[in-house]
Amino acid sequence: MFFLHNLERRVTLHPSYFGRNMHELVTTKLVKDVEGTCAGDYYIIAIMDAFDVSEGRILPGNGLAEFTVKYRAVVWRPFKGEVVDAIVFSINPHGFFCQAGPLSIFVSSHLMPEEIHFDPNATPPQFTNNADMVIEPGTHVRVKIGGLRTELGEMYAIGSINGDFLGCLQA
Amino acid sequence: MVKTIQLGSRLRYPITITKLYKEPSQPIKKKEALFQYSFKWTRTVGDTIRGETWEKEETTYADWSSPSDGELKSWKIRVGQEILRDQDCMVVKESCSHDVQFGGLCAICGKDMTEVNWAAESRDMDRAPINMVHDQTHLTVSETQAQKTENALQRRLLQHRKLSLVVDLDQTIIHACIDPTVGEWQKDPSNPNYPSVRNVKSFQLDDGPRGVANNCWYYIKMRPGLEDFLKKISTMYELHVYTMGTRAYAQNVARIVDPDKKLFGNRVISRDENGNMYAKSLQRLFPVSTKMVVIIDDRADVWPRNRPNLIKVSPYDFFKGIGDINSGFLPKQQGLLTPSAATTNGGLARIAPAPSPDKEDSTTEEPPLEKALEEQEKTLEKQIKDRPLQALQEQQDKQDEEAERASATPENGNTESTTPPPPYHRHQVLQDDDRELAFLEDHLTALHKSFFQAYEQNRLSQPSSSPSSLDTQSIPDVGSILTTLKSQALSGCKIVLSGIVPIGMDVYRSEIGLQVASFGAELRSSVTRDVTHLVVSSQRPRTKKVRQAIRFLPKIKIVNQDWLAACFSEWRVVEEGPYLIEGLEDAQKKLNEKVQDAEATETVSDADDTDTPPGKKRILRLKSPPRVRFATAATNEDEDEDDSDSGGDDEDEDEDMDEELEALKPVDEDGQLSPIDGLKTFNWGSADEELAEFLESGSDDDDEEEDGKDDDDGEDNDNADDDGDVQATANTSTTTSSYEQVLAAPTKRKADDEEEEESNKRRKSLVGPGPSLLRNELKDEDVEATSAAVAEAAEAAAAAAAEVEAQAAQDAQDADDLDKEFEELDEEALEADFLAMDDGDGDEVQGQQVNGDGNGNGGVSENG
Repeated sequence: MFFLHNLERRVTLHPSYFGRNMHELVTTKLVKDVEGTCAGDYYIIAIMDAFDVSEGRILPGNGLAEFTVKYRAVVWRPFKGEVVDAIVFSINPHGFFCQAGPLSIFVSSHLMPEEIHFDPNATPPQFTNNADMVIEPGTHVRVKIGGLRTELGEMYAIGSINGDFLGCLQA
Repeated sequence: MVKTIQLGSRLRYPITITKLYKEPSQPIKKKEALFQYSFKWTRTVGDTIRGETWEKEETTYADWSSPSDGELKSWKIRVGQEILRDQDCMVVKESCSHDVQFGGLCAICGKDMTEVNWAAESRDMDRAPINMVHDQTHLTVSETQAQKTENALQRRLLQHRKLSLVVDLDQTIIHACIDPTVGEWQKDPSNPNYPSVRNVKSFQLDDGPRGVANNCWYYIKMRPGLEDFLKKISTMYELHVYTMGTRAYAQNVARIVDPDKKLFGNRVISRDENGNMYAKSLQRLFPVSTKMVVIIDDRADVWPRNRPNLIKVSPYDFFKGIGDINSGFLPKQQGLLTPSAATTNGGLARIAPAPSPDKEDSTTEEPPLEKALEEQEKTLEKQIKDRPLQALQEQQDKQDEEAERASATPENGNTESTTPPPPYHRHQVLQDDDRELAFLEDHLTALHKSFFQAYEQNRLSQPSSSPSSLDTQSIPDVGSILTTLKSQALSGCKIVLSGIVPIGMDVYRSEIGLQVASFGAELRSSVTRDVTHLVVSSQRPRTKKVRQAIRFLPKIKIVNQDWLAACFSEWRVVEEGPYLIEGLEDAQKKLNEKVQDAEATETVSDADDTDTPPGKKRILRLKSPPRVRFATAATNEDEDEDDSDSGGDDEDEDEDMDEELEALKPVDEDGQLSPIDGLKTFNWGSADEELAEFLESGSDDDDEEEDGKDDDDGEDNDNADDDGDVQATANTSTTTSSYEQVLAAPTKRKADDEEEEESNKRRKSLVGPGPSLLRNELKDEDVEATSAAVAEAAEAAAAAAAEVEAQAAQDAQDADDLDKEFEELDEEALEADFLAMDDGDGDEVQGQQVNGDGNGNGGVSENG
């Protein structure tokens, strides 16, 4: 689910950048550092604006200026039970991996409808029900997130396509 | 899904079950209390300060919590039961067995598997320890799941009558390099290498090493005939890529080799997923059974666990001198069959790859990863900077130019049969003449055929199975089939290696030795009559074993290592013709002549020239008196033994045939040899040790010298003599040991030479009281000699010290008193020492007598 979230971050600036457009530089650096990263249990998708850049403080020792920036960002926090659209990128006999933006989701063969099975003879190997449903790398699928775990800078998710309106998306 | 759960070892047995909270068929949850139990324990109560304590037995009640979710099927315990040790307590139908896990999550129920709690003894993570997916490291499965997957795979393969084939990339089916020279050659049609590099594919990688090699181009040359090979083979085998390159590299190469992804599909595993930087393992991909898996790889040492399944191919070396760009992590290879220089164009000198092959032993512990990474980067950078290929071509051009000049002169131009082109013709460095894949295809086809023959046979012999069904029970092991197929290849050959396995390496455990054995040939360590082939390094074709083999020449084939390589790739005894070492017939003739000459002159030295290895001949050349023996000469003896009969070393001394023949001349004529001749084989380590020993105990010796310096000038001369003796000692230490061998040898050897016996007799008579008798005396003598040498050195030091002292006395009168005191002290000590040394002196005298004796003996033998 997407949120608009108020966040705060300390940004340091090298002395060679000190000047009139310092605040601009700080914002640029903030965007560069933060956008697209995983911060705990959510991803920072985009920074809307930095609404408060504090006065710079010179750090003793190395001369860098430190700014405390308060900013608003669009964040995405996947929830258990959330349904997301994703693109398949890897298939193996145990299931397939798909990517929903920055999050890679594993869909186990246990969590697929009964009629879908692994076909290793196809090139490339695929999951199929021998009818309209063919899941191979590049396929768009709709999955329901069944479990989430966060590690430092990383998120793992389990998905399921066993349910109504889940599975292959007809493009 | 039904699982029997144990009580666990953490309870305080014996326990008594007091209450069961749950009935069978009730749902249970993790960490939920399932039954109550009681246990008795003793507690110390009372006043510990006064010491009035006593033990009191107490009964405690506790709950037992469920380690898993699911439904309770049945209890294995009942109320009132006393339990003495860990045992089964209940049967549970688990709601999820957590068979597939992804990144610490159960891929089936989505629960966090990393959670640790008090109820369970083992973590849920441990239920799925096996990582068997090609392109992911975070996906793990349980043993049952692995078994299931693999069974499905085997069934499918059997249905399609296929096997699995794991293919290595680098130097097996392709050769890669990052030398930018290749790119330049590709753009330049006038370059002699243009036709060879024209179909070299390339791609750019930006995830490569940092620095210079960042974002560099990789040039990939496919092994000739690869496309056809893979197409044909893929009808019999399901192909997997297993490489030590990075993931991106592997995928790029796979894209080049197999653009449609029809051959490899997504079955590509690289070092990023391998989990081990130094070894490959089939168990990574096939954790349960490797019965239907064959490997082709150019390196056998990276498959320590799967040798039976491996077909080792000869490394594809297109970009000369580059080697394997992804082998930075692997241990350096040893004992390779490097092709002889003759096969590369015009005897081109090989530019050695940067790291020397025997820099580090492959058995030493693995270098830390960081270091390995760095090293890899360095070698890659070096390749880009140094441009080894360009250097090679320049070298080649230079050679061509010279040849051109030479052929320009009329007389040479006529003799050379090769077309002498009028313009300056450049040879190319890169040759595209590899035929390995054709053979490999044959082997794989044969293997496939015999595997399915064996499978059908197994199936028929099992009456229970219906002929149509696929039966995983009767799958034969392809590894053992491969082994039997291979072992027929060179059966009947008896092969001796010479100059191929580095010294100090066990031939039988070396890579080549193992291979020779795996092809069914018998590996011998020494040349005998029934040996069929002697394989010689073409760089050094004049080894001792060659000399030995020359006598059996028509029967024994003396070939270079390329023959062996050809046999390995063709799996049969290849026609030896092109591989024979040339010029040996002449040597044989020469040798025979020599023998005849020698027989005519009937000198002592050539009595056994035809049959004795040089270790024994050396005695006769040295001609020094066999009177002294170092106690540590055992090492020398070992060496001699090695020379004569053991096969431990294969790199013989690099003596030339001619030199040897010359040495066979009777040495008596030119009298004595240089005294340092024998020192070449002398073990200095032992002498140093002995010296150190003496120096330790020898403070008194020093003093003695100092003392006796004034009164005895003649001692200098004595010392000089003794010094000479030390050398003589060293000189003869080898001699003595080899002498013993000679004395013992006739029993070992076939005594086919009467003359030899005669010579032995003669020698015995010369020796007089044989070396064994002499040995005790000799030790003493030797000790004495060494001590004399020490003494001399000490004397010199003392003289210098005295000088300094005198100067000091002149310079500083204040210090004079002190000095005197010290001198007095010294003198006192010396006197005491001297007295103590008396006995020793006596010994020395005796020793000298012995010495004289020895000299006499030596003199006799020399004269004789």
